[in-house]
Amino acid sequence: MNIVLLAPRNLLRSWHRSLVTTLAMGFAGVIMIVFASLMDGMLQASERNATMMNTGELQLHAKTYLDDPDLYAVMHDEKALLEKLSTVGVSASPRLFAFALAAAGSSSAGVQLRGITPSREAQVTEIHKHLMLGLWLDEVDTEGVVLGRKLARSLNIKVGEEVILLGQASDGSMANEIFRVRGILKAVADDIDRAGFFMLSSSFRKLMVVNEGVHEIAMKRLNQSDTLETKQQQVQDIAGPYEVKDWRSLMPVIARILELADAQTIFMLLITYVAVGMVILNAMLMSVFERIREFGIMKALGVNPWQIVQLVFAEAILQAVVASLFALAMGAWLALLLQERGIDFSHMVSATSFAGIALEPVWYAQVSFRSLALPIVFLFFMTLLAVIYPAIKAALIKPVDAIHHF
Amino acid sequence: MAPAEKKVIISIQQVSKSYQQGKVKVNAVNDLSLDIEEGEFTALCGPSGSGKTTLLNMIGGLDLPTEGVIKLELQELAQLSRMALSHLRRDRIGFVFQAYNLIPVMTAYENAEFVLALQGMPKAQRRERVMSILKQVGLQGLESRRPDEMSGGQQQRVAIARAIVTHPAVVLADEPTANVDSENAEALLDLMEELNQREGITFIFSTHDPRVMKRARRLVYLRDGQLDPAA
Repeated sequence: MNIVLLAPRNLLRSWHRSLVTTLAMGFAGVIMIVFASLMDGMLQASERNATMMNTGELQLHAKTYLDDPDLYAVMHDEKALLEKLSTVGVSASPRLFAFALAAAGSSSAGVQLRGITPSREAQVTEIHKHLMLGLWLDEVDTEGVVLGRKLARSLNIKVGEEVILLGQASDGSMANEIFRVRGILKAVADDIDRAGFFMLSSSFRKLMVVNEGVHEIAMKRLNQSDTLETKQQQVQDIAGPYEVKDWRSLMPVIARILELADAQTIFMLLITYVAVGMVILNAMLMSVFERIREFGIMKALGVNPWQIVQLVFAEAILQAVVASLFALAMGAWLALLLQERGIDFSHMVSATSFAGIALEPVWYAQVSFRSLALPIVFLFFMTLLAVIYPAIKAALIKPVDAIHHF
Repeated sequence: MAPAEKKVIISIQQVSKSYQQGKVKVNAVNDLSLDIEEGEFTALCGPSGSGKTTLLNMIGGLDLPTEGVIKLELQELAQLSRMALSHLRRDRIGFVFQAYNLIPVMTAYENAEFVLALQGMPKAQRRERVMSILKQVGLQGLESRRPDEMSGGQQQRVAIARAIVTHPAVVLADEPTANVDSENAEALLDLMEELNQREGITFIFSTHDPRVMKRARRLVYLRDGQLDPAA
């Protein structure tokens, strides 16, 4: 039986129904390509934002530091370490941490001092772009500090005003110094919002008497196409006794949220295609019931049940092919448009952060092989699934009953 | 010289067929035995409900008897698998239906070629065979017409061409003249008679058309699912 000849003719015979079914399949494909691209865009942006605000993609610490963030748990000879890191294709930013008490006017609050080198930090994170008020740290302004927004509110302090720091230095002496607020951050993450006190690492060393070593080195891949796992291994190979962790281990909750969002994309695809599957099932059942007599004749003439199954499947696959081409053309065009222009929600919401992820008001799509291929694979899968019942129904028709069916 | 003995091509032994119609059991064929020899031109006659079509369907392997045995060329049909029965219908039986039953999306040529393609015959050989058959049934020049572009008589000729193109052992024709006018009915009967005589194809009709009965060389009368000895 020439299925290649029969399938398109059968579809053209009821071209209205075939067109409606194919368009329903095609539009579902378009919606899913756009949806998958937007979700991929959101996931990539969330991952980027989660790492670029503070954490970086990889971090290096002394083995005990994360469990017990002790002022003395430093990684020594940071210069040599930074030099080695530059050879494995990562940008690195050394950081120093300590706890102290900050006071301004009659208010005081516990703070986490964060000593950084602005030029290096800018290569790893984009926190310097995330200011609500004032300016970011400057290498020449040794007294300038930047505060988290809730901390600034607790201290009731404004840009340009003085803040006094009180703590215990590494040598046991009293750490006591006056700084001036250069800037106040937007929402970043709760710990930074409430206690983040950013200062130059040179000022930190002087205040806390930490002459050498760093507590943390945050890193970012220079080439984003390198896998994080490979890069982590390369860093571990040169880091000796120190411990390297990726951002997923450092922010497991956020990593899970993003994994969940990824799973939601698949789930949404599935729900939409189940609906499309119903349309296909209905159309193919109608098509089979309309042709019961014809299938009966074919079987009487010697067509076997398997050939009938092949014919019904060929008709459905042909529709899926046309629908896929339509979906790919329209979906890719729309998704590329959204990749370039995004959907602007800025008139509804401003930039904010959630659980350490900066949320941008413009939602960009990310077109990838996955976002184009996955909806098409789903479309074919659902088509094949939906057509099983009509095909079996047609194959099991008894010729003697079907011939007298009107 | 004694005439060559013809072999029995269809053997029907004590065949019954009953249906359940709602709560009522209907005996369409009742303990019927009949032999059909090779080359016969036989009409199964009788009023509506006498069991003609049921018997024809069982001979063609479209339906199976409730009791009894039907053999076609010594093969017992009830013993064949679904696939083997499909192959038997494809290779050894030709069907001509009352309502033509051509495949509507195919041309006259493609309809006639359909079963040959199922058999896997090479294209060139198929073309030669189909063109020759269409010429024989008087459809030369109408090869590319679809069923809805042909008259009832022309459609029935395509159906006959489709039935005989494979050189089957037997052609089963269910009321083949019921939907055509007198002129076309006579022409179709001429054609089938000629094919029977020239090609030696066995024809079995179910009919209550007197024109068919007049042409048949053997009449088998049925009444209430049994042979009617009084007719």
